[in-house]
Amino acid sequence: MMTLFTKVHAQEEEVYRNPSKESLAYHDYRTTESSPPYGLLKIKKLIGQLKLKEDNEGGGLLALNYKTYALLSLREKFTYHLIHGEAYSQICDAYPPTQDEHKKIFGYLPDVLDEYNWSEGQLKFLRENRDSVMALIKECVTKKNHVGVNFKRAIVEINGIEMIPFLIKIYNSEKKDGDLLTLLNLLLRRNKDAAFLASATYKKLYGEEYSFTSFILFNKANEALIIKRATDFYNAKSN
Amino acid sequence: MQKAINIISLFFITAIATHSAFAQHSGNYVLIPAGNYVVGKKNHSLNPLRTVQVDSFYIATTEITNRQFELFIIRTNYKTDAERLKNAMVFETGLNEFEWLNDTTACWRYPNGINRGGIEHKMEHPVTCISYKDILAFCQWADVRLPTLDEWEIASRAGAATDYFFGKTDDLIIYYANTWRGKNHLLADNSDGYIYTSPVASFKPNSWGLYDMYGNVFEFCSGKLSNSQNVNIAHARGGSWWCSKNACRFYNSVDIGRVHIHASFSNQGFRVVKNKLL
Repeated sequence: MMTLFTKVHAQEEEVYRNPSKESLAYHDYRTTESSPPYGLLKIKKLIGQLKLKEDNEGGGLLALNYKTYALLSLREKFTYHLIHGEAYSQICDAYPPTQDEHKKIFGYLPDVLDEYNWSEGQLKFLRENRDSVMALIKECVTKKNHVGVNFKRAIVEINGIEMIPFLIKIYNSEKKDGDLLTLLNLLLRRNKDAAFLASATYKKLYGEEYSFTSFILFNKANEALIIKRATDFYNAKSN
Repeated sequence: MQKAINIISLFFITAIATHSAFAQHSGNYVLIPAGNYVVGKKNHSLNPLRTVQVDSFYIATTEITNRQFELFIIRTNYKTDAERLKNAMVFETGLNEFEWLNDTTACWRYPNGINRGGIEHKMEHPVTCISYKDILAFCQWADVRLPTLDEWEIASRAGAATDYFFGKTDDLIIYYANTWRGKNHLLADNSDGYIYTSPVASFKPNSWGLYDMYGNVFEFCSGKLSNSQNVNIAHARGGSWWCSKNACRFYNSVDIGRVHIHASFSNQGFRVVKNKLL
């Protein structure tokens, strides 16, 4: 009887193989968040005090109290919101590294802020201050030449289509951040761009058979196509 | 008879009137014997294929219900994280993928907030909107524990080598699990009879007699994926009523979710384990 109980299944056992170094490095690159410099140390200290409480019984507070928050400047609030989530994140939205991540343009951006997420109040801040948010993101990105995943997510949240030329310029400077192309796709999708909705790219990334890990190949043809569509969309909106 | 032979497990009906009210309500356990088991999947970065050794344990055939959790609250006057912190995350139709709403009125009695109804007619549904911390308090009171990540997987697999205890693909999932069948979460999906949770054991069990190992609620497990892991993270497995083919798809024996230890979602619950039955 016990023999029956202890049977194990007959799947072939193997030594675990990590994705390639290039793939892992790209995973780290695309999941890196940007840290706005505005009052960064002060904001990190305030957030750190919140997180310390979480380890104690009765802890779990995620948001600054109103008085502390109200005393922050707009730039400091920007920093606070971009690096800290006041709500929790769903438990299956973080996808681990996959093979050949650097060769893929994904349909969606990676998870941001780990086990946290932006609260409704935080999203409201981003939307209500979208001009300032876009200006501050540009300022930060220009210095570092990198758009962190939190910045990309914020641009989607505020529907920052005015940033399309800037995003293309940043992409073209290194041509390695495939998530900038993802971001362009997400903006076109959000704005229901007819040409994009009718495309094979849309079908593959967001169509009937999509999944949260759907991707197209990160190659020159797809790169050119995405940039052209985004440029056409922007120009049409600008005229 | 054939069914009895196929089920390589033992069922125990706890008929003992013990001090633990929990035991009176949750009588069914399956014995998982000590032994070596293969868990994980080839090339899965969080859950690689490997052999693990476990001691025997008894795992509940169903998830803990609202009725069972209510007894704990009545006996202990415990305040859950969601009640204390007003931080529960709830779902309503129309949200984008992976979007949840913070609802200060939500807690285990109102899993998706007061406006979306209470549990009065859902006492046999799994309890939700509770945090990992709340579950540990329940377990201490009931003298039970959570399954480890490996124990949960062994129980869910029921001897199968595939991602699903019923096969390689999820084609049969509709018979075994309460999941989200819609393409996205913009429109309500009750094609399986339930938008949110379903009463425990509403779907077919796995071959070891365990119900809802996939879907209904994510089930918390004990243990970490690495020693260096953030202390504020807990893990849960098996997917939930929210999980769809296109988003999440964690209703399987392989994937491992993660969440903050104080987070309360309306698709999180648990089942329990005992080392011995008294």
